[in-house]
Amino acid sequence: MKAADITEDQEDLNHGEADVRPVIVIEHLYKKFGDLVVLDDFNLVVKREENVVVLGKSGSGKSVLIKCIIGLLKPDKGNILVFDQNIPLLGHDDLDRVRTKVGFLFQGNALYDSMTVRENLEFPLRRHWIDFSQQKVDELVMEALNNVGLPHTVDMMPAELSGGMLKRVALARTLILKPEIILYDEPTTGLDPVTAREIDNLIIRLQKKYHTTSIIISHDMNCVKNTADRVVLLSGGKCYAQGTYPDFEASADENIKQFFE
Amino acid sequence: MANETGNNTRLGIFVLAGLLALIMAFYMIGKNNNLFGSSFELHTRFPNLNGLIVGNNVLFAGIQGGTVKSIRLISDTSIEVTMTIDDKVRTFIHKNALAAIGTDGLMGNKVVNISAGKGASPLVDNGDMLGTQKMVSTDDMLQTLSTTNNNIAVISAELKATALRINQSAVWDVLNDRSIGKSLKTSLKNIAKATANASQISLAISNMVTRAGNGKGALGVLLADTVAGGDLKSAIAKIKTAGNNADQMTANLNALVLKIDKDLTGGKGSLNAMLKDSVIAQNLKKSMDNIQKGTDAFNQDMEALKHNFLFSGYFKKLEKEKAKQQNKKN
Amino acid sequence: MHGFATKTRFFLNETGSLSRFTARFFSVGVKPRYEVKELLAQCYIIGYKSLPLIALTAFIMGLVLTMQLRPSLVVYGVESKLPIMIGIAIVREIGPVITALIFAGKIASSIGAELGSMKVTEQIDAMEVSGTNPYKYLVATRVMAATLMLPVLTVLGDAICLFGAYIGVNMHTVTSYRLFIAQVFQDLTFGDFLPAFIKTFFFGFAVGAIGCYKGYYSSKGTRGVGNSANAAVVLASVMIFVIDLLAVQITDLLGLN
Ligand SMILES: Nc1ncnc2c1ncn2[C@@H]1O[C@H](COP(=O)(O)OP(=O)(O)OP(=O)(O)O)[C@@H](O)[C@H]1O
Ligand SMILES: [Mg+2]
Repeated sequence: MKAADITEDQEDLNHGEADVRPVIVIEHLYKKFGDLVVLDDFNLVVKREENVVVLGKSGSGKSVLIKCIIGLLKPDKGNILVFDQNIPLLGHDDLDRVRTKVGFLFQGNALYDSMTVRENLEFPLRRHWIDFSQQKVDELVMEALNNVGLPHTVDMMPAELSGGMLKRVALARTLILKPEIILYDEPTTGLDPVTAREIDNLIIRLQKKYHTTSIIISHDMNCVKNTADRVVLLSGGKCYAQGTYPDFEASADENIKQFFE
Repeated sequence: MANETGNNTRLGIFVLAGLLALIMAFYMIGKNNNLFGSSFELHTRFPNLNGLIVGNNVLFAGIQGGTVKSIRLISDTSIEVTMTIDDKVRTFIHKNALAAIGTDGLMGNKVVNISAGKGASPLVDNGDMLGTQKMVSTDDMLQTLSTTNNNIAVISAELKATALRINQSAVWDVLNDRSIGKSLKTSLKNIAKATANASQISLAISNMVTRAGNGKGALGVLLADTVAGGDLKSAIAKIKTAGNNADQMTANLNALVLKIDKDLTGGKGSLNAMLKDSVIAQNLKKSMDNIQKGTDAFNQDMEALKHNFLFSGYFKKLEKEKAKQQNKKN
Repeated sequence: MHGFATKTRFFLNETGSLSRFTARFFSVGVKPRYEVKELLAQCYIIGYKSLPLIALTAFIMGLVLTMQLRPSLVVYGVESKLPIMIGIAIVREIGPVITALIFAGKIASSIGAELGSMKVTEQIDAMEVSGTNPYKYLVATRVMAATLMLPVLTVLGDAICLFGAYIGVNMHTVTSYRLFIAQVFQDLTFGDFLPAFIKTFFFGFAVGAIGCYKGYYSSKGTRGVGNSANAAVVLASVMIFVIDLLAVQITDLLGLN
């Protein structure tokens, strides 16, 4: 499949009727590390073009959840259907094909610190079955950097950038293949309110522009309020509660109320 | 991008340098092993290889000239050695050249020494068989040296006693037998020679020993080996006493012979009574025989020893000095 | 008793996973696509950049070895055997082993720390998500580079070591470099050189594989990264001696000595 095909596919889907078929279906997901049970019969369905925010205390297993979705961790039990493909059962090549359609923003950015920003952004483009011309690569790199407002950093090393800039470069790298699903792991943590607000707007803008589906992990209630179509609370390894932001704000549940204090 | 090209260039230089060093090493080793060299072969047969193995060097007139390629047992007293010979020396080897097994340095590897034969002869062809030459090994040398010295010591002691007895009992009167007189004379000559040899050798050895004590020379290693060292030291001591004994003996015998000569020419006839003492006469005869045999063997060994590499340097120097002095005289 | 049992189990577990990790090099690392660019970059870093260090230590080693060996040889009156003894010592054992140990100290630790910090900061996961097999891209290239570069470094190190030895010999007697080299190579055979050369490939492989293994399975935190760098050097150094022992036995069995 050539890069051009991907964008065409995307366009086809995006211009079609408002599709309510779920793109991510998680059924009876179990995951434990040794004796520590992290996910215990977790279920979630995410529809196309929906922004789902996952709330949860630190160490509740949010990162583990989205790593299972992208196939970085193998669940002990359960199904994860992404575009109707069961991730835990996929072979290496099939998994790789699904992953081109899924962007992943790491909690700690995970930029390659021995490479320049340009090389960092080029990295996802070097998949063996994609054959971009150098011109196309440059184009994509600059477009992604323009999206996050950092075109001037293209030849800098990650070490020369500030925390907020790093986050935005990481976001640019996540977006460079124009994924249909983006998994954000705490996109605004550690940023000042102004930059956090910019990132929120960016997420919303991208969703409008590319019709992406997102799962956003966050503790930042501003971010939740700005971006969430639906909020899910992960607690005790289960999907403890879900609803809209106002639903959550109005809830009398102790576990939910904690997040609004 | 430019930086990366530079890095690749430097990497290229690095790898090529390594490759070059590797090729050089292969070449240097290969040169000595004749792996890439000549295929010119010569054969020779020895009764005993004394530890010569495949890969040992072949020296022609002392120059590195090839290696031992293979060793094959022909019979229990004959072993065929095949040698590859370098091009640079093969045009100098004649058909009458002789091969011998020697040692490269005192504790070093065995080598095959090829030395030029006497007289004219055509050059060797590929696959020729060379004649051999017996070489005396250091071990053999030391062993003979030690037994010879024992013999000499015994003989000289005996001789001394006999000579004394002869003197005291005036047995020389008996000796109108000319044959005894003759053998006495030869013995004297031999003993004189033996003494000279013995003192020369012991000088040479003690010279070597002092040098070895200072940590110089090949003997140092030999002396570190206590067995050989002990042997050698006692050998030297014996040679010295033998030499002293022989000196005395020679004096005594000289006197004796002079007297016999005088008596015989003077035609004194009062010996008959003495001649009846046949025991003494027998003893005397035997002693003379022994002396002759012993001194002969001793001289032979000493001659051989002189040519052993241990002492070769010393004796060469001696000869040089002799030549110098002679030159001065002329 | 309990502690011993857990330690034994830990050791066996570690051996098993290291073997499995190494085996992956042959199953995954040798298949296309080849990361040629990264391999060259690693060869540059691992090989070329190690040369100054190796050269310095090799030179000093040659010099010191000669100065140490000389008095003993003088006592036994075989001073003239100094070049060949040094030559054999360097070519057969000291060159390969010292070079490999210095190499392990520099490379195993830097690979361990580099991969360790990449692991901890999730860069390895990021590669996986970006459709690049991190084993192939990070591990196979480094193992390959170490395997190929150590022999080159050893040959150059041997040469520099011999030069150091030449200086050492020349401090007491005047010898031309050509004579010295001729003396060194006089009794050297392929049996001396080849097994020593071949084992350096294994040394390099061990250094690369162990450095990568320790980094790849580094535990979180700066402490974890430091530990993995340290453990990589220790294990790689021990492994070099084990391989050396095996090598000498194998050459013995094959009669190459
Ligand atoms: N690779 C792993 N090995 C062992 N335990 C792990 C591993 N990854 C996560 N855990 C454990 O699983 C639990 C959930 O971790 P996770 O990273 O998902 O937390 P989180 O919800 O993302 O927290 P935070 O908001 O602080 O990022 C933690 O207790 C963590 O110790
Ligand atoms: Mg997390």
